[in-house]
Amino acid sequence: MRAPKWQLPISESSLTKMTRDLDEAHREAVPVMRARAAEFSEELADTGIAQRPLGRRGFLVGGMGVGAALALAACSSSSSGSASSGSSAAAGTSGSASASSASKYTGDLKVVALATALENQAVGAYQAALTAATAGKLGTVPPAVATFVQTAMSQHQDHAKAWNAVLSGAGVPTITGVPLSNQAATLQALGAVTTVGGVANLALELENQAAQTYLFAAGNVSSAGGISTAASIAPVEAMHAAILQFVLGEYPVPDDFLGTSKAASASLLTV
Amino acid sequence: MGGEGIDTRLLTELTDQSQDLNSDAVRITREALGEFTEQQREVRASRGRGPGAMAAGLLGVGALLFGAGRANAASASPDSNDIMALQTAASIENLAVSVYTTAAGLSFIKSGNATVAAFITKTTAQHTAHAQAFNAAITQAGGKTQTGADPKYAAVVKAALPSIKAASDVVSLAITLEDVAAQTYTKYVSEVSATSLRTLFGSVAPVEAQHRSVLLAVQALLAGGDADLIAIPTNAAKLPSAAGSVGFPNSFYSTTSASPTSEGAVS
Repeated sequence: MRAPKWQLPISESSLTKMTRDLDEAHREAVPVMRARAAEFSEELADTGIAQRPLGRRGFLVGGMGVGAALALAACSSSSSGSASSGSSAAAGTSGSASASSASKYTGDLKVVALATALENQAVGAYQAALTAATAGKLGTVPPAVATFVQTAMSQHQDHAKAWNAVLSGAGVPTITGVPLSNQAATLQALGAVTTVGGVANLALELENQAAQTYLFAAGNVSSAGGISTAASIAPVEAMHAAILQFVLGEYPVPDDFLGTSKAASASLLTV
Repeated sequence: MGGEGIDTRLLTELTDQSQDLNSDAVRITREALGEFTEQQREVRASRGRGPGAMAAGLLGVGALLFGAGRANAASASPDSNDIMALQTAASIENLAVSVYTTAAGLSFIKSGNATVAAFITKTTAQHTAHAQAFNAAITQAGGKTQTGADPKYAAVVKAALPSIKAASDVVSLAITLEDVAAQTYTKYVSEVSATSLRTLFGSVAPVEAQHRSVLLAVQALLAGGDADLIAIPTNAAKLPSAAGSVGFPNSFYSTTSASPTSEGAVS
């Protein structure tokens, strides 16, 4: 990334304090989420959802589960791709879970797997943006945008860790790549971007998709831990979206209520 | 942003564009409220068929209506807690509307940064919509609507009023209220029994979080002497580095300061 020519208009001490506050808040939040993830795993184990063979039950528990599965499938992403595997992350890693017609992820775990893949997709996208910026492919990158990318990427990594802790606790493989069928299209779109605004627009799509997916999940997963985890992440993705919209010159809070029309479909998952 | 920096035509255009997107969200909220009404009707009907039917309603039909995490707790009068949660949420919204309305009339807001004033107007309307949604759900559930303000935070506002001398003071107070609202609704997503109410609270919490996010950024810009950058569109190239991260300080939204469902309940 090119060295910023712009001078910091606030004092270094103010910035240091803000950064320290940020770090402290972050450190306070992460242990709580780890605890929630552990509780969620125990819940899944208690209810027998963890490691349940495919076919014994539907998407979730009982009739509600089937309904939720159908609803989630119907709630498809507008950016579906055509990749056959879609398991390559932007950073080049592949998912630790191998693609299979008989998914290891059923019930609530399918939602968790989808969430993990979406988080990894966001991390990969931001990493790709940083790489492109460093290579000078995006022109001059405003300092605030660089900070945004690094901070948002870190938070998405935290989200992925929380969801992977649930998968690990449930005895199924963690997801380190992006096993989504739209990943190839996402990578293609990222590769074609030549401006900061273009990256910001793509990031905005991913953030809105994530926030709305979590809203849908909060209303449709059956475990209390899953509900609370999804509920605690959705606002953060929405906050990312608000700042992105501000940077893009758009009104940052355009909607009275978060919708679900941009939520990702579980059918995107390729594992 | 100096008031001269704002392109109000663009703001109007953007607001118009958002209406299409927002209509989808409003539709979802209405559907959630309708679903909630239906759920309440079925639960009440099951109760009217004796203890056995009631158990079936709460544990059998409940499997359809309620998340498993709350299914067992649903047997302990889920309706009353749901209604209290809605009433407390409405009380927080009512307070927010009151504070923003008052703020809009302050001389230093009216003659100050035009984007801040526009944000206050838009945010007031959004909180009004939230209050209406919560009260509509209360009505549909057979409860008493909440037209008053949250007592705990009304006291906080009252104590803060004498010290409000500038836009930064308003922003600081608004951040407190938006954070309480976001934390409370985030927590209620897990606490309410009806699935549709999980969606309702889940659809409002991120919007309050976005309000807070914007206010945190505005607060940082005001503190840094960059009021001219509080504009739509802003000059992204001139934004301080911290503006890219100050708006979202946590990886996960905390609920430690969430209000209990009883806080704003109508007695």
